[in-house]
Amino acid sequence: MKKLWFLAITVLSILFLAACGGEESGTSGDNGSGSGDAGSGDETTTIKAWAWDPNFNIAALNIAEEQYDGDVELEIVENAQDDIVQKLNTGLSSGTMKGMPNIVLIEDQRAQSFLQAYPDAFFPIDEYFNKDDFAAYKLEPTSLDGVQFGLPFDTGVTGLFYRTDYLEEAGYTHDDLVNITWERYVEIGKDVKAKTGHDFISLDPNDLGILRVMMQTAGAWYVEGDGTTVNLVDNEPLKQAMENYKAIMEADLVKANSDWSQFLAAFNSGDVATVPVGNWIAASIEAEESQAGKWAVAPTPRLDIDGAKNASNQGGSSWYVLNVDGKEKAAEFLGQTFGSSTPFYEQLVTEVGAIGTYKPASESDAYATPNEYFGGQAIVQDFSEWMADVPPVNMGLHTYAIEDIISAEMQNYLKGKPLEDVLADAQAQAESQLR
Amino acid sequence: MKKLKRVATYLFLSIAALVSIFPFLWMLVSMTNKSVDVTAGRLLPGTHLFENLKVLFGQVDIASAMWNSTIIAVITTFLTLLIGSLAGYGFEIYRTRGKDMIFNILLLSMMIPFAAIMIPLYRLFGRISGTAPFIGIDTLAAALLPTVITAFFIFFFRQNTKMFAKELVEAGRIDGLSELGIFFRIYVPTMKTTYAAAAIIAFMNSWNNYLWPLVVLQSPEKLTIPLLISNLGAGYSPDYGVIMTAIVIATLPTALVFFFMQKHFVAGMMGSVKG
Repeated sequence: MKKLWFLAITVLSILFLAACGGEESGTSGDNGSGSGDAGSGDETTTIKAWAWDPNFNIAALNIAEEQYDGDVELEIVENAQDDIVQKLNTGLSSGTMKGMPNIVLIEDQRAQSFLQAYPDAFFPIDEYFNKDDFAAYKLEPTSLDGVQFGLPFDTGVTGLFYRTDYLEEAGYTHDDLVNITWERYVEIGKDVKAKTGHDFISLDPNDLGILRVMMQTAGAWYVEGDGTTVNLVDNEPLKQAMENYKAIMEADLVKANSDWSQFLAAFNSGDVATVPVGNWIAASIEAEESQAGKWAVAPTPRLDIDGAKNASNQGGSSWYVLNVDGKEKAAEFLGQTFGSSTPFYEQLVTEVGAIGTYKPASESDAYATPNEYFGGQAIVQDFSEWMADVPPVNMGLHTYAIEDIISAEMQNYLKGKPLEDVLADAQAQAESQLR
Repeated sequence: MKKLKRVATYLFLSIAALVSIFPFLWMLVSMTNKSVDVTAGRLLPGTHLFENLKVLFGQVDIASAMWNSTIIAVITTFLTLLIGSLAGYGFEIYRTRGKDMIFNILLLSMMIPFAAIMIPLYRLFGRISGTAPFIGIDTLAAALLPTVITAFFIFFFRQNTKMFAKELVEAGRIDGLSELGIFFRIYVPTMKTTYAAAAIIAFMNSWNNYLWPLVVLQSPEKLTIPLLISNLGAGYSPDYGVIMTAIVIATLPTALVFFFMQKHFVAGMMGSVKG
């Protein structure tokens, strides 16, 4: 009898809670316009911004504030990137904008999930800058239904970082690495490994980022242009990327890593000859001072497909204005600094070493400064040239969900399962999972 | 044969000890090394300690983060002990209809993961912020309030109260003490070990609490230690030497609390198991 009572009360209270939840969520849209801390009354407006790297995007905000002559005081809050995602999700889904910043930095790959889930929480900023000034591939992930919500910031344009001394030892020059395909990359790798004994690349078996880099050179992704239709089985670029991946694995060119610090160690220790990733890795390569002058950067290898470019992208983020008080001021601030100022990008590249996606800046002198660590190569200029070539893709919402499936199937492929079956199975799984 | 068994035992224990102590050792060693050496897996102490300390203190306000964490942890511990023990005492000593049922429901609440109630909680504090800004979002009070009352500590104190001699309560009543007087003058002094054990657990929980402070604290000057460490690793090229230095500093207070109360802690835990 007692137990029955207990059960009854528990069930009742759960139902009660559920009912409350339902009712609340119905009204949650109303307080969406909320109360940001940003200014009312005062002459100078305080604008709150969330970003994550003091040596990079936070430094960029500081330069922007320094150069901006409007009456704005910037309050920068540093948070790890995952923490920002957590805080935004909690804040926005609770429906209270209390505590939310005016400006937030969001990684391009995640942007769509925020924009689609909370369209009212973001402020359209079309009018505050000219989007044609920015690299084309940045616009797709930062807009929703043709409305621009993000101001494109840094580029993740990739390059083939390589050890000049190892490659020379095996008889290769810079020109041998320019405009090559991934097949050629694997051939060179085999040769270098045979002649010098060094591994050619460091990969984390659980991270297939390299597949995305390869696919994007041909403007392809795991999904079609609409961002939702799963496109694996007849996806020629993906097929080639997986073949290349298998070739790299089978030729034993890989020094495996299992986390970021091991990845850094792989090239800082001099174990691997090339690092084909986003340009942001340059700072980590330069951290090992003893290797100064032994590195250079070549364009990213491309897939062997018509129209494929020797340029790809990995990572990168953009600025968003939240729909709270002070949004116009925040948008003006972004528009006049990140959105249209060449001097800003010059100072950014000289002081911080960060490369934006603002195209007019790439002609400035600051971009042409030679980098002594990379043997005098003007790497910033090279990166910004490649950046203009990066084929745009619609990444959609499910990149990581699909990649988990591919990741499992990849193991089967490496064990000998035919590629057609691998892709057909992955396609079926992805379709049933994402329906 | 006996000797062999002994050797095997000690070998096993040594390996187990090494495995559990190694991360701490590595942390201490890494504190004295450059970031590049840390990633390269260097296991020997280096000479970079002062450099790391200088960068750490120059880059972030670790003193204020320590202060925030300390305030939150001390207040949380105090309130948790007070409320948890009052409730646990009440549940065990007094006879009320349905108290076991209420207690069971309370225990059920332990099953709900914090992530599930985080959003409603944030909404709640967002609403409060309008009328009572001193406990609203972005205050230390908001960071500690939801963690003050937990079913775990009520359960912990109730279990331990089972060992408490009820005759003492009777004796107190006969001598004319009020009910609160009995609690504070008789119960609290007798249960010192239980309080010590609970204090350590509450302090550590609060010191290491991450998710809720992360969500609710917004201003840089209100950061707690775990948030500060997370920020240190946030950049694209984190300085692992500096991070390790910060972690060592962050570990000190919990280690101190534990060492000071270790004796009581073990006694308290034993008590709760026996009960």
